Amino acid sequence: MVVRLLPEILQNQIAAGEVVERPASVVKELTENALDAGASTVEIVIGGAGLDLIRIADDGSGMTREDLALAVLRHATSKLPGNDLMDVRTLGFRGEALPSIGAVARLTLTSRHASEPHAWAITVEGGRVGEPRPAALTRGTRVEVRDLFYATPARLKFQKSARSEVAAIGEIVERLALARPDVRFTLQTGDKGERVFAGRTGDGAGAARLAEVLGANAGTDLLPVNAEKDGVRLEALIGRPQASSGTVRDQHLLVNGRAVKDRQLMGALRAAFGDTLARDRHPVGLLSLTLPPQELDVNVHPAKTEVRFRDPGLIRSLIVGGVRQALADAGVSAVSGSSAAVLDALRPHTGGSTGFSTATPVSFNSGFAEARQAAFEAFAPAARPAPAPVADDDDHPLGAARAQIHATYIIAETPDALVVVDQHAAHERIVYERLKRGLEARGIARQILLIPEVVHLKPSDAEALCARSAELESFGLVIEPFGPGAIVVRESPAMLGDTDLKQLVQDLADEVGDWDRTRGLEERLWAVASRMACHGSVRAGRKLKPEEMNALLREMETTPDASTCNHGRPTYVVLGKGEIEKLFGRR
Amino acid sequence: MRLTLERSALLKSLSHVHRVVERRNTIPILSNVLLRASNGRLELKGTDLEIEMVESIPAEVATPGATTVPAHLFYDIVRKLPDGAQISLDLGPDQAAMRLTAGRSRFQLQVLPQEDYPDLSAGDFPTRFMIGTLELKKLIDKTQFAISTEETRYYLNGIYLHAVDSTGPMLRAVATDGHRLAQSQLKLPEGAAGMPGVIVPRKTVGEILRLLDDASEEVEVELSNAKIRFRTGGVVLTSKLIDGTFPDYGRVIPTGNDKTLEIDRASFAAAVDRVSTISSERGRAVKLSLSDGKLVLTVTNPDSGTATEEVEADYSAEPMDIGFNSRYLLEIASQLSSGTALFRLADPGAPTLILDKGDEAALYVLMPMRV
Ligand SMILES: Nc1ncnc2c1ncn2[C@@H]1O[C@H](COP(=O)(O)OP(=O)(O)OP(=O)(O)O)[C@@H](O)[C@H]1O
Ligand SMILES: [Mg+2]
Repeated sequence: MVVRLLPEILQNQIAAGEVVERPASVVKELTENALDAGASTVEIVIGGAGLDLIRIADDGSGMTREDLALAVLRHATSKLPGNDLMDVRTLGFRGEALPSIGAVARLTLTSRHASEPHAWAITVEGGRVGEPRPAALTRGTRVEVRDLFYATPARLKFQKSARSEVAAIGEIVERLALARPDVRFTLQTGDKGERVFAGRTGDGAGAARLAEVLGANAGTDLLPVNAEKDGVRLEALIGRPQASSGTVRDQHLLVNGRAVKDRQLMGALRAAFGDTLARDRHPVGLLSLTLPPQELDVNVHPAKTEVRFRDPGLIRSLIVGGVRQALADAGVSAVSGSSAAVLDALRPHTGGSTGFSTATPVSFNSGFAEARQAAFEAFAPAARPAPAPVADDDDHPLGAARAQIHATYIIAETPDALVVVDQHAAHERIVYERLKRGLEARGIARQILLIPEVVHLKPSDAEALCARSAELESFGLVIEPFGPGAIVVRESPAMLGDTDLKQLVQDLADEVGDWDRTRGLEERLWAVASRMACHGSVRAGRKLKPEEMNALLREMETTPDASTCNHGRPTYVVLGKGEIEKLFGRR
Repeated sequence: MRLTLERSALLKSLSHVHRVVERRNTIPILSNVLLRASNGRLELKGTDLEIEMVESIPAEVATPGATTVPAHLFYDIVRKLPDGAQISLDLGPDQAAMRLTAGRSRFQLQVLPQEDYPDLSAGDFPTRFMIGTLELKKLIDKTQFAISTEETRYYLNGIYLHAVDSTGPMLRAVATDGHRLAQSQLKLPEGAAGMPGVIVPRKTVGEILRLLDDASEEVEVELSNAKIRFRTGGVVLTSKLIDGTFPDYGRVIPTGNDKTLEIDRASFAAAVDRVSTISSERGRAVKLSLSDGKLVLTVTNPDSGTATEEVEADYSAEPMDIGFNSRYLLEIASQLSSGTALFRLADPGAPTLILDKGDEAALYVLMPMRV
């Protein structure tokens, strides 16, 4: 192997992003280097959440004395043999990682190349490069990064909590491990036990690795997908719709063995599932695309997590087609095709405010109560006097409840329309708004638990949740770590009463991955409120008495934004009298 | 099967038996009640596969036999027959329908074969003891309210009955929903020593309570690891138990709480009731401010107003504020029965023990709220 300086033009082509922004990115770069060096074992040791120590040892090719000295220089790389950015076959190609790390930390590389009589070590401290010196190491390369960001105190200040950093490192290693089931990875993060991904080859290797990453719940019963078109191969393992998740965290995408997070690919996967999944659910699984390097641009994103395809249409149709086929083979069919005319006539009320005056009085007048009574007797099919006229539209724009169907929807009547209300979605919005008002006014009261509830989660989820414990506490949920992969709930929001805390925590864990850094704190808090509202709401499947239905309608009329639930789904649809008449050809 | 019997006896027993029969069933025979006539008695049996209720009443049996008829329908018919009516039941030789005759009323009820009727009573019940009706009622009354309704923690969906050695051998009942705990005990009845600890499901608890209302002086209890049976008068209730492990509740009962508050129970209960009027919403806190010789209860509801009430109390530790869910506090206050309620407190974040002063048989543990 020869390490060369890249031609200048190429140096500029490679737009250097911020390579080293947090400990997890160091782990990523160093692990990728080890994989590029042909390692079959990668051992990762983390101390002090990566700020004190990151040590990565591999059994790859190693470096000669000269290579070692060059490797820490900017834009020195042994990769990109053809100087062609359109032909990248390795994970690294910029020659940027090691010098960037060396500039902000104390970096020591120890490496043994087969052609050398012994190993060599070199140290870079805050950008000052030392001389190679003889060292002891039998094979491969050991990279040690100490005191990360010591040279840039400002960066150091902006580091996130130790727990969330360790969680991020875990996620990075999971992603890299998925790409290379043949490589054995071990990850040690201080106080916690070691995570081991055993190296495997042969048929079930990819599936076994995916099961290791997804954990016992989702990792079983995956559907295999195999498809090929115009030189692009798709291999995937996907969970059935029932195994879907509230977030995209358990979607793993590989493009030519590179772990990426790509909206287009995720979109294609979601599209393949169609309406077998509710709107807010996401598939889980691993998609792996193999295509000629020329079909691909990987130099889009400083952390190389996004890619660009020359023919995105081809990729999309391959994914949608392949995954659909696999679902169909497994007997999962996409539901669709109800009467289009009816669906068209039913216009969902989404977006914007309802336009209801929030000052509308919620009390019933006696006439209204009578109308309600008459309506429910009118269930009998025999001819009966028509129900008493519906209350004035101005007072009650959602009308009077006439029936509940499927224990899920309320059918209400106004003088000129029929209203169908999704009881769960509607109640969820009401509870959410109440929670929000309560929080703004006085904070959320917490019931201390006599018997704390222990919830087992994926270790990375448990860490991610604990990292947010302060936010959760402001919503009345007090959690603490409880050994690896478990948390204990000590206090719960009093307004939820005797509730299923396990489910609540699991759902929150599903969601926590989505509260990414770019979103405001407040939005994340409301995301929690929304989840809690969902748990405190009347479920679909619960029978409601006429009084309860009407109360729900009245409360909707006084709740801001009651036309959509807090996930953005409509809470009710309106079918105008005219539209009903059209359906029956009366107009 | 042919028999004649008195309406009032049949009605009373049907009112017990039909209650355990679910109104909606996917297995048709579960909507039915089993009737078995022999030796001058009619036996009625209803079940939902979890609970089985059997009652036997005197009848003039002309031809012995057995069948099953729709329980709720049968009950409704008998209920509407005039008081004092003589009812005769007759399963024709073809066994296709049961004729019910009373005065000039005649009904034909469809039957299902009695051989298909499920039987829960089989099995051994190694433990057997007698317990006073009032004592059993008290044991259940004092704990029932704390049973959890949250179904994922199914092992909390009942009352944990077990033998302990505290002040002598005791039969103890415990229920908790993870926020509060209620414990009640009585002297261990003879024969109950060595009984397994069992969790009696909520629905069964409700049924027993209702039975106890017109029970004789004593109830016979039989137990195995999987089932419990209560026998009183002519009624036998057999129920499956919750198959689970009740948590080690002893750990959550505080022993070192050193601040004591003694307060007139009736004034306390009335005050809690009054101030919590203002807390419409679930999970609203009542703040208890304890200071020398008095207790001040406060509820603040930004949507509707505030309530404050001062109650004279015996308290001499350092002043302290502690919040409780008003509903929980109300429920416990209404369980207390002696003249003086006794609180043992530690701090606003720790479990509080509540007792009847002078009656250690029942105790309540309540976790405070943070507000
Ligand atoms: N673990 C290793 N084993 C063998 N060689 C290594 C190892 N790590 C780094 N190198 C050598 O050092 C060079 C520089 O590494 P560096 O990570 O800085 O750049 P790169 O991997 O080529 O590109 P990128 O910046 O995109 O990651 C590599 O090209 C490789 O030759
Ligand atoms: Mg690299």
